[in-house]
This record gives sequence, C-alpha cells and structure tokens, in this order.
Amino acid sequence: MIANNKKLNPPFNYKTIILVLLIIFILIFSAQRVGIPNIVDRLYEVSLDIIGVKETSRISDGLSSIANEMWPPVIETKKDINLILNFDSSNLPFYSFIENQKVQLYETNLETLELESREEEVLFLVEPFGYLKLVLLKVIESIEIAFWASFIALIISIPLAYYSAKNYAPNKTIYFLSRSIVSGLRAIPELISVLFMVLAFGFGPAAGIMALGLHSAGFLGKFFAEDIENANQGPQDALKALGSSRWRILKEAVLPQVMPQYVAYILYILDRNLRMATVIGLVGGGGIGQELKGRFDLFEYGHVTTIILVIFIVVFIFDQISAKLRNKLIGNSS
Amino acid sequence: MSNTLLKIESVCKIYPGNILALNNVNININNNEIIAILGPSGSGKSTLIRTILGLTSLNKGNIYFRSKNYKDNNFNIIRNSIATIYQNFNLVSRSSIIKNIILGDIAKVSSWRLLFNVWPKETQDKAKDIIEEVGLNDIDYNKRVENLSGGQQQRVGIARALIGSPDIILADEPVSNLDPQTAKDILNLIRKTAKKNNISVLCSLHQTNFAKTFADRIIGMKEGNILFDKPAKKILKFDLNKLYK
Repeated sequence: MIANNKKLNPPFNYKTIILVLLIIFILIFSAQRVGIPNIVDRLYEVSLDIIGVKETSRISDGLSSIANEMWPPVIETKKDINLILNFDSSNLPFYSFIENQKVQLYETNLETLELESREEEVLFLVEPFGYLKLVLLKVIESIEIAFWASFIALIISIPLAYYSAKNYAPNKTIYFLSRSIVSGLRAIPELISVLFMVLAFGFGPAAGIMALGLHSAGFLGKFFAEDIENANQGPQDALKALGSSRWRILKEAVLPQVMPQYVAYILYILDRNLRMATVIGLVGGGGIGQELKGRFDLFEYGHVTTIILVIFIVVFIFDQISAKLRNKLIGNSS
Repeated sequence: MSNTLLKIESVCKIYPGNILALNNVNININNNEIIAILGPSGSGKSTLIRTILGLTSLNKGNIYFRSKNYKDNNFNIIRNSIATIYQNFNLVSRSSIIKNIILGDIAKVSSWRLLFNVWPKETQDKAKDIIEEVGLNDIDYNKRVENLSGGQQQRVGIARALIGSPDIILADEPVSNLDPQTAKDILNLIRKTAKKNNISVLCSLHQTNFAKTFADRIIGMKEGNILFDKPAKKILKFDLNKLYK
C-alpha cells in the first residue's frame, strides 16, 4: 500500500478568516450608512408592543392609522347631479340610482361676517359599482400596455438574439454591437426610461408601452441569444453536414430545442410587464398606476385599497392562466 | 469509368497544441463498398469523417469525390451525395420521427417551403417508404424522437441518411451507445439498405467482431496512422482486439 503523506485541505485558513472579518467590517460600515440600526430599533419596539411590555410603537401606530383609513374599500361613486353636465334623470347609467341626501353647507353671513352652517337637500347620482368599474377599465388598460410592450419586446429581440449569439453572428463587430444594445436596453430601468418616453410620446399608455417594451427587449434578447448558444450542437452539425444554411439550421435544429424555454421567457416577460405596467403609471405611463398615484396624493386610502385588491386579483388570475398555458405549450409543442 | 467514389490522398490534420490527428492518410472508397474503420479512441476515426464532411479543415492533402477535388469552398459538390449517421444520433429530439427524416432533404427544399413548414408530397411519401424500410412502421411517425429507444432513434438516423439518396454514408461509431443485440441489428440494417440502394459506407467502429461480418473491407487506425487496409475476408482469423492494446 502506498503511504499517503498528503494532508487534507483544512476547511478554512487565515485567508478565509481575513475575508470573513473584512466582510463583517464592510457590513457594519454599510449598515450605519443605510439605517439598519433604525430598522432594528423599530422592530424591537414593535415586538415589545406585541408582547405587551410597551404600549405603543412607531411601526404599529403608523400602520394602524393607515389601515383604519384603508378599510373598507370604496367601490361606489357618488356625484352631485348639479355638477354633472347635461344630466338627464330619465336616462340614468346602468344599475344606478338617485339619492336624496342632507348636506351640511357652510357659508359666510355677509352681514355678520361669521361662518354659518345650514342643511340642504342635495340629489346625488349613485353608481354602486362605479368606482370598481373605473378601476377595472384602468386595469384593462394596464393589461393592454403589458401585452403591447411584450409584443414590441419580442419583435425587437428576435434580430438582436440572432446577432447576439456568438455561433450565429456574422462577425465580431456585429456581435459586439448587438450585445451592447441588449445590455444597454437592460441597464436603463423602466421607471427612468418612462420619464424620457413621456417627453417623447406624452403622458399616457404610449410612453409606458415604449419604456416597458425596450427594457424587456433587452431581457428577451439576452435570454434568447444564450439559449441559441447553448443549444445541443449535434443536430446542428447534422444539418450543417447536409448543406443547410445558417438560418435553416437555426429554424430546424435550434428553434425546436429552445422553444419551450422561449415560451417560458415570453410568459415571464408578460407577467413582469403586467406588474410593471401598474408601477410605471405612477410616473406618467398610463394605466391603473396613474389612478393609484392620484388617489394616494389625495389621501383617499379607501380607493387605494380597491385598486390594490383589483391588481392583486388580476395578477393572481394571470399567474394561474400563464402557468396552465406554459404547461400546455411546453408539454405538446414540436 | 473508375470505380473509385471517394479518394482520400495524403491527408494530414493537426489540432491546436500540435496534436497530430491524421498523418498522411490515403484511402480509396469504391462504389457500393462497405468499409469499417477500427481503432482506439483518439486514433483519428472521427476526425477523418469530419474532414471528409468539411466540418474540420485539413492541413495537407486532397479529397476527391468522383475525381473532383473539393476544398473549403466547394463542399456543395458532395452535400447531395454524402449522408451521415452519428454516434449520438444528432436528431432534433423535440421534433417528430417523420420531421427528422425529411430534414435529410433540407438542402433541396426551397426557403419558403421551409419557412412555412410545407414539405413536398414526394418527400413525405419517400419518408414514409423509408420508415418501413428501416423497420419503424409499427410506431406512430408523429411521435417525438425523444420518446424512442436508442435503437429506434438510430433507425431514424439511418432513415434521415437514406432520404437524400446518397452515394456514400459516413457513420461515426453508430452503435457505440447501443446494447450488443441492437447494435448487431442496426449494423445489419445499414448493410442491407446500403447494398440494396448501391450506397458505399465508411463506418467507424470499436466492435471488431461486428466489423468482420459487417464490412467488405477493414481499415485499422492508431494515432492518426493507417496500420492496415485489408478485405474483411482476409483478416477473419486475426485477433483485431490487439489494436486496442
């Protein structure tokens, strides 16, 4: 038997210890800068509040005051009929009614110059699901933004992917250029690019579609190109030996291999764009985000709750549909 | 008229790192002749096949197909005449049996037909005939090849090679991934279809006993050199396994 004098490598050495100490030092330094002690303080306070040692905490006070205002969600709309242009009481909107309500009005008495209140009966047009309807329409606009953005991303990413795949790019310059475009598109967050798109296309869905579309084209281009590069070389060699051109090999030997992942990527991008479409509305990109921002700024938290609930339900339903679609397409495509 | 189909003349191939893969290789392949190349891994069998196909450039020498020399730029003269069978089958695993077979005719189909996936009826009919010829008629030809056994996948590989009506089939260790009985069946199938359709075969193998019954001629290779090139009948009594020692 040959004697083995070699020692096993220890699990750590002085380099590991130095590295760990360095990481700890950086974390401590960084924690001070980003306010980690503040988070710890407040969490400590709220945990004392929960177990009953302390009566109040800033977290629970802040959240409970908002929570009280957020519930119940607002789903109806109520409008003073005097403020509705060309109001026709014989032609009311579907499922709405007129309600007579006493309203306290305040007016300055010009003789005494004092503020006096009086009660007056005002007629209101009440639509019990009016606000919900408005939110749903805005959500549909967000869904449309997401679909169009994903479609634009797909169209842009197909040529980018071809030229960004090392084994298919015609030359190094085009490969480098294409890769740079793909990285550049990904590097600019939608929330930033939408600000520029608003300048170019104005407030509304068009700016949102372009911002989301360009950003996700960067993602799709990268994903698609990497899958082309990593596709099994065997079938490609076989078709190359038969005299196929590059695009023929790509279509017949590469696409069938990568198609399941491509479907998954497109559904992921669609899912991501749907969530982002609600966010970019906050900065002028149209859709439900714009409505959410408006209500938040007016402290109408009941309306905010309705919007958040509807977004949650729509995203959840879309998640279920895309999971089923993915299984179906990946399971049977050929 | 010469009986030589493919002539490999003084071919050398050196890989980066000064690795000599083929050293002055000379082989004549005649019409309707089945040749087995034996040799251990790294002896240059696969490089030889890749060089003939134009997938690897050669450093020295010439290859003639029907007396025409072809170099890097005019491989088109051999594309319609040479078909290949691979060790790992090299099939498009998520495509159907029939799709993989008709891909053997890919270079002959117009671009728009390929784009819209509309294959000529005669190609499809021919594919169906070949499916029968290679013994896959019991299987639904719309089944994906990834759901087939190794032996069945290699039959699809053979069918893909046959559909282009080639003059020669190059087979790179076509039975290495198969069990002995399936390997024997596959080699019998290659031999039977080649003889029936007047196709020459150049097949690299590791199984010396299979080579003796499969081939008309056996070539032994080691470290890029040809050690022997004899009719199979004349070397039946020799123990060719010594090549691997």
